[in-house]
Amino acid sequence: MKKSAFAFLACLIAMPLQAADFTPLDKATARQLLDPASHRQPTIVALWSSDCSHCKKNLQLLSTLVKSNQRLRVITLAAEPETASLGPLLDRFQLPGPRYAYGSDNPDAIAYAIDPSWAGELPRTFFFNGAGQKEKVSGVISVQMAEKALGLRF
Amino acid sequence: MLNDSRARLASVSNMLARLSSVVLLGLAVTCVQAAEVVPSKSKAARPELGTSAAFAADGSLLVVAKQGEQVMLYRSTDEGRSWSAPAAVNAQSEAFSANGENRPKIAFAADGGLLVSWAHSFGAGHNGNIRLARADDGEHFGAPQTVHKDTAEITHSFESMLTTPDNKVILAWIDKRDSEAAKASQTPYRGSGIYAAVSNDGGRTFQPEFKLADHACECCRLTSALDRDGSPLFMWRHVYAPNERDHAIARLKPDGTLESVKRATFDRWQVDGCPHHGPSLVVDAQGVRHAVWFNQKEGDGHVYYGRLVAQGDELQVEGQLTVGGPRAAHADLGSAGGKLAIAWKEFDGERTQLQAMRSDDGGKTFRTQPLGATDGASDQPRVIRRGEALFAFWRTEKEGFRLFPLP
Repeated sequence: MKKSAFAFLACLIAMPLQAADFTPLDKATARQLLDPASHRQPTIVALWSSDCSHCKKNLQLLSTLVKSNQRLRVITLAAEPETASLGPLLDRFQLPGPRYAYGSDNPDAIAYAIDPSWAGELPRTFFFNGAGQKEKVSGVISVQMAEKALGLRF
Repeated sequence: MLNDSRARLASVSNMLARLSSVVLLGLAVTCVQAAEVVPSKSKAARPELGTSAAFAADGSLLVVAKQGEQVMLYRSTDEGRSWSAPAAVNAQSEAFSANGENRPKIAFAADGGLLVSWAHSFGAGHNGNIRLARADDGEHFGAPQTVHKDTAEITHSFESMLTTPDNKVILAWIDKRDSEAAKASQTPYRGSGIYAAVSNDGGRTFQPEFKLADHACECCRLTSALDRDGSPLFMWRHVYAPNERDHAIARLKPDGTLESVKRATFDRWQVDGCPHHGPSLVVDAQGVRHAVWFNQKEGDGHVYYGRLVAQGDELQVEGQLTVGGPRAAHADLGSAGGKLAIAWKEFDGERTQLQAMRSDDGGKTFRTQPLGATDGASDQPRVIRRGEALFAFWRTEKEGFRLFPLP
């Protein structure tokens, strides 16, 4: 278990160096990604989709936030399978972190693995302070909300 | 883009070549091993499962679904046990949406014409046009037409189609022309508009579209039904100020013009986001309006059922109750033969279950019955009727089209 968590962390570290492509998300990876133990630095997991206009507001905010916070990681997760239009939509926000899109598992199972209390509304954002704390919010977020939940501001 | 990727890969190779640390090499090896257990990165598009079904007057079951860039029509004369070879509705391919809250629709005009509508999509998001094809003889479709005059490359999507006994065909949809205009003039505007177009000749020609309402939610499906007196009703998720995503009902006059728009639910879910959960509405033989919808109430999300009754000039919800458990989703409902049935899907931690709830007393009491389950992806279920009988129709990726009688 510890080994797999370590491997997962190692992959997270290595990922930004890879091509800016989407990794298909299965339910096991989703569970790991949303586990506070997987994050040892302030991290945001941002769920979005191509049809969600409010998601773009959050991605824009995260784009600014990540530039001003060197320790912050932003992992994006598209709640839909990868299509040709998905990459360009995300590219404009220049987010350096790993990007995932729904893989071939039952989408209901992936959603459940992400968060059993999530009903599919977007945007959905998860904040990890890197020390075991996790918060989640649906809808548009603010810089203050994000920095507080991430432990970047007290 | 490609050059960027190559440059990054090259920089990774250079970096790896310089690494001599055993720990870092170990990390690289671990990643390769981990990558092997990740499902292969197939670029093959997952089929879009958004499907509609309806029984024709002769009792056969008709289904419209997406295949590539065509709407395909399937027929079954034995309640879904066997299916005809599919026939293309649109001879000329065009991209359209058939996922989640969007899907092709099927209906019958009063003159017997078979109607299929869909949301043609182009560019980003839900930019597109509402399209309608008609088969006078129920088999051979003419070229599809766009039902609105607006040609702007903006969102016209999530249509709902309603037919009336006097051969009207009415479509209403989410339309972003007013929000785009507001954006251009830097004026705040909540959500999207709802527009409608009326045909008085069974869907052959359409009158210019008109606005039903401002401030609808941006990407939840619409629903429609004929009211007690035959007046058309359209219901959708609305954005009440400042950001309460409850539902609204528009009632049209017999001539197809707007009579009123009223608030229909009062759960006060405040979110600046997209719920991706539209309502469903049916009016029973006694003229009672029954609805199912999803909302968060005091922090908890649930599917709800309720009757939408007049209280003076306003509406109120009577008999509101929770449908299914905390993961119940995408309910539909139908009414026939004095019975009311609700079908929904619900993930149980392992599989997606299809459940139904039936009432013989107009929605006062219900009994719940599991109908089926699937391991894979699935469409939203539909409740359809044939005469006095109700059925649940559910398309799943692994099992295909499935029909469940609801006696």
